[in-house]
Amino acid sequence: MLALTIFGGGVAHATLAPALRIGDVAPDIPLIVVILLALRRGPEFGAIAGFAAGLLQDVAGGGLVGAQALTKAVLGFTLGVIGGRLRVTQPLVQVTGLVVLSIVEGILRFGILKIFHFPAPFGELMAYVVLPQALYNGFLGAALVLALAWADAQRHPAA
Amino acid sequence: MRIRRLVLLVSILVLCLVLLTLQTRGRASGAADLVARITTPVQKTLSAIHRGAFGLWSTYLDWKNVRAENRRLRDENQRLRVDALAVSETAEENQRLRRMLELKARLPLNTLTGEIIAREWGGWVRSLTVNRGRADDVKRLTAVISPDGLVGRVVDVRPGAAVVQVLTDPTSTVGAHAVRTRTPGVVEGEPRGTIRFKYMARDGSALQPGDLVVTSGLGGLFPRGIPVGRVRAIDDRGSALFSFATLEPAVNFAKIDEVLLVTGDRMEDVTAYFQTGG
Repeated sequence: MLALTIFGGGVAHATLAPALRIGDVAPDIPLIVVILLALRRGPEFGAIAGFAAGLLQDVAGGGLVGAQALTKAVLGFTLGVIGGRLRVTQPLVQVTGLVVLSIVEGILRFGILKIFHFPAPFGELMAYVVLPQALYNGFLGAALVLALAWADAQRHPAA
Repeated sequence: MRIRRLVLLVSILVLCLVLLTLQTRGRASGAADLVARITTPVQKTLSAIHRGAFGLWSTYLDWKNVRAENRRLRDENQRLRVDALAVSETAEENQRLRRMLELKARLPLNTLTGEIIAREWGGWVRSLTVNRGRADDVKRLTAVISPDGLVGRVVDVRPGAAVVQVLTDPTSTVGAHAVRTRTPGVVEGEPRGTIRFKYMARDGSALQPGDLVVTSGLGGLFPRGIPVGRVRAIDDRGSALFSFATLEPAVNFAKIDEVLLVTGDRMEDVTAYFQTGG
């Protein structure tokens, strides 16, 4: 189940994300998947999911293999640790949380890539890549959460 | 539990850093190649499915849009065609009536406008019925004209209508002359729906195709100078007393819709009031 979800997320990112592109901004579907899994399943699950999804993205994207694997694994782990203490049910909180986490992931990735001489300036990267994508992730992720909640409610009406 | 989690995280971090370091040192990552070998075919398959699904969806949407647009354009086309026909018809009628009124105003004759309400177009009889009759003081043998020339004469008057014998009727005869040569003669209708100009050979030797033939005014039936037709061909009978010239009628009897009935007794020369085009 984990492998399928992560693999599907990675492949969906490579195939579906371009179709969901708004202007020049595409959502980071694996990141959303990792966040949702980490919140539900805990740090181990989050770390492994983040690592696998990031690795797939690295390979599929043709960049430095390991950068996204690292950032997503850290993010998955951290969220898994603190997820149990948070009650994230409000859509507004979910959108904000996803936006913030996307930004954090972007900054983290920038930091790692900078170690390996990544040339793009931070300001531009934030303005044109990280922030727009974070916003998109926020709304798409919240929509996904709501859809999952609705599906759950349909499956277990009594609950 | 906590240590296990930390060990997992640290392992992942170390693995990632090793991968990154190896790559930056120019060594190809075997693990990455392995992952790529597994993911690429799946990616290709899913991409094909995705492309196919999107293609199918776009085709459906296009088809739906085209169908709706086609229906809309058909309706619009139909409406525009009807509108165009109405406009064209109105414009033509307007032009015809304008010409008619201009002629009516121009002519030094008493005239009455009439609308054609029926046509008899068999070979035996060629006539038109106009919506003017006894109540309008229309008399038998009244001359009927149009802006293009002579139409014929009234042969039967009824309470609300009058029957007009047109020039092409086989029994129709009109006194006429050629404008250029002043050749006198008679315009006769023919069973085949044409008209001919019958003239004495010695008077019409100079007659040429294209010559205009107008009413002569002799007999007091038609005013002088109303165009009857143009010479199309000359049938020279040699030593015969009469020659014949086939005429192209000045009026298209099949298309005429309105006419003027000359009701007064004034019989002036009206040659100058018709636009004969030379």
